[in-house]
Amino acid sequence: MPIINFIIYLLTMIGIYSLLAMSLNFQVGFTGLINFGQVAFFCIGAYTSSLLVVNAGVPILVGFLAAMALSGILGYIMSIPTKSLKSDYWAIATLASAEIVRLFALNEDWLTAGPFGVMGIPQILKDSISKDAYPVFYLLFVIACIIIVYIFLSMLTNSPFGRNLKAIRDEEELCLSLGKDTQKLKLQAMIVAGTVGGLAGALFAFYIQFISPENFKPIETFLMWAMIIVGGRGNFMGAIAGAVVIQLFNVSTRFVGNYVPLGSDTMAALRMTIIGVLIIVFLLYRPEGLIKEKKKVYDELAK
Amino acid sequence: MDISQILVNTLVRGAELSLLAIGLTMIFDILKFANFAHTDYAVLGALFAYVFNRILGLNLVLAIIFAAFVGGWAGILIDQVVFKRLRKIGAQPVTLMITSMGTAIALRNLMRLIWTSHAKTYAVPLHKPFEILGARITPLQIGIIVVGLLSMITFHLVLHRTTFGKALRAISDNSDLANACAIDSEKMIRRLWFLASAYGVIGGSMIAMEHLLYPRLGFDIIIPVFCATILGGIGNPYGAMLGALTLALAENFILAIDLAPLINLGGFFDVGSIQISTGYKPAISFMILIIVLLFKPTGILRKK
Amino acid sequence: MLTIKNLEKRFGSLKALDDVSVEVDDDCIVGLIGPNGSGKTTLFNVVSGFYEKDGGEIFFKGVRIDGLPPNKIAKKGLCRTFQVSKAPEKMTVLENMLLAAEQQIGEDPFSALFMHSRVKKSENANLARAMELLDMLQLSQLKNDYAGDLSGGQKKLLSLGRVFMLKPDMILLDEPTAGVNPTLRVQLMEAIKRLQQIEKTTFFIIEHSMKVISSICDKVYVLNFGQKIAEGTPEEIQQNGQVLDAYLGGP
Repeated sequence: MPIINFIIYLLTMIGIYSLLAMSLNFQVGFTGLINFGQVAFFCIGAYTSSLLVVNAGVPILVGFLAAMALSGILGYIMSIPTKSLKSDYWAIATLASAEIVRLFALNEDWLTAGPFGVMGIPQILKDSISKDAYPVFYLLFVIACIIIVYIFLSMLTNSPFGRNLKAIRDEEELCLSLGKDTQKLKLQAMIVAGTVGGLAGALFAFYIQFISPENFKPIETFLMWAMIIVGGRGNFMGAIAGAVVIQLFNVSTRFVGNYVPLGSDTMAALRMTIIGVLIIVFLLYRPEGLIKEKKKVYDELAK
Repeated sequence: MDISQILVNTLVRGAELSLLAIGLTMIFDILKFANFAHTDYAVLGALFAYVFNRILGLNLVLAIIFAAFVGGWAGILIDQVVFKRLRKIGAQPVTLMITSMGTAIALRNLMRLIWTSHAKTYAVPLHKPFEILGARITPLQIGIIVVGLLSMITFHLVLHRTTFGKALRAISDNSDLANACAIDSEKMIRRLWFLASAYGVIGGSMIAMEHLLYPRLGFDIIIPVFCATILGGIGNPYGAMLGALTLALAENFILAIDLAPLINLGGFFDVGSIQISTGYKPAISFMILIIVLLFKPTGILRKK
Repeated sequence: MLTIKNLEKRFGSLKALDDVSVEVDDDCIVGLIGPNGSGKTTLFNVVSGFYEKDGGEIFFKGVRIDGLPPNKIAKKGLCRTFQVSKAPEKMTVLENMLLAAEQQIGEDPFSALFMHSRVKKSENANLARAMELLDMLQLSQLKNDYAGDLSGGQKKLLSLGRVFMLKPDMILLDEPTAGVNPTLRVQLMEAIKRLQQIEKTTFFIIEHSMKVISSICDKVYVLNFGQKIAEGTPEEIQQNGQVLDAYLGGP
């Protein structure tokens, strides 16, 4: 039934973007790192996994792990300038870097097939799962990833490490005066965030089974930003909620286009205008987002 | 491509970028945030110029002048509706920057809604290019360079000969002191937005005349404009001009050079001509931006 | 414990610190006074690594520390508070205290994820110490309030509590009693004295109140226009003509 397939597709895309939103939230909402180049993790994750599997015949699991590793390394590289650059300058630098990554994918066709993209990305466990059950299987796979990532990220943010990150976000000088190596902490945060972003990229590539530089334009980063602004920073439920709201809006308006006599370009423009307005409205009137950051209360000591 | 052509192209592109960079740098300095929507105001103005010119049949120069006014007012309006509130509650510069990003997306797509994504052109009469010292240059390009120069001179005069300009320089040097001297900052801010946006519209129209006009143009030029701004140092309008010229030179030069001699190492190897693919042209400004940010974020010129 | 030799710091053409030399002996409480703008906080900023020096040397426990970043200096046992207390908006008072704890397991991703039980043990130990300190500073009832919501005086107390969690060898206190009500001020002074005696902490305190200085300081340094103009016991400097001139703007 087409409706069921559409819903499964919608949920899967919401799932993949939830991972990206959680990764961005970890950087922005917890550590205060304003990353305008988030799509770079998505891009590297998708290309690494698919190129290794399609061109080099690497097993899919290894492809996924390599995607996560390379994105983590990109996170490390992106964190280095945070030492000398103020937040707004660093944000601009990340925007520029993500575009450079995309332009590299676009131009170096000996590696990435350039504008034609990577085609024929195989399905995971293709032989073991029936064609009909596959979409459900993949959705469950994505949900499993979300649950695992959610648990890991929550453990991190509830730990002393997470506490240090929040302190960097709110008062970095205080952190320094308390002996924390803030540069190392930011580095670790970016590696974690990059790894999650890379996972999302691999999941995307193996779901859609075809990727090209068109999928990784800067507007993607700002969609993820809309998700954390609307959903709520400083908490992962907020990131997921934001992904649900924005993706629902995004995909459903595509659907509506079938019933309303407006061209697809017009629908796209209307959609993005509303998203831009949402960003402004939330930042002006509800900066904490839909789901607020929870206060950390410690249990009394067990005697 | 020989030197004189590179220079001509540099002057043209440099003029266009300076008109945009000058507004961005002043806003960045006085209102202390990176306005990602700046180039979109410029494109909005350029689209109005298109309407005045193509649809209302106005003379091109008049169309652009009227459009500059529209753009200036749009800048003020957006500030009143969006940024002023954040200013009043003492929001962080990054919040303003992120909000400007939302504004950019909304504005760009609103323009797309109204005018569609199709590229547009002005009613510019085609002329044969002149040949000067081995370089080809069209009357339009000469016009762009002249407009750029005149605008810079006008800006200089505004900055040094008007009360408004003096107030701007005062706020730029020391905003607390300026407040203490009872300079009406809100009025100054409105005038600043008008000036910055109007200049941006002129710059945007120039680019649109030389190439194409489409709603997404704003995003395509924001990074080069940022690059020029940061190269020249935030708050330094002369730096913005210099930064624009430097970037334009780099863009034209880097694509023209043949890397083969370098790789051949004077006869060691024998590689055919190697040039950086033009697909990377946008990346040049990105790379320069990153390099400048990493090594000298205060710009190559000190603040005057 | 802390030896500052001929320290210089310039901002453009302004000499904020001009040939300043200071000795703070172990287990002492030393005061730093001077009119506004005399360079007191600048001195603290240079010593704690937040500003770079332009000349001179700084020794802590016999080792040179000038040029080190602030977090390394803090880890060596020399900590500080800020003139305007830093209060992370979205972190509670207890979180602040735990943030500062000296020994923590779980401050990096690996241990946070894989050493759960040891992290819990260390957190509990630190919680106990944090509650003790909060009780002493009369902040316990605020333990789950956001630091950003505290009053000015309460923020000062929190800063004190935080820096005590670090168990430093020496603390630079920048105007610890500014904005604190008189009863609490006395309590603060008691706490500082107690810490000096029990934990053998050395203190270097910027203060404006001569009353506070006289009651707890063993020695006082006086700065004016970035230069050291006097040093001695509180009684001695209260009778020093130059000091009086500096404060009264005399000839």
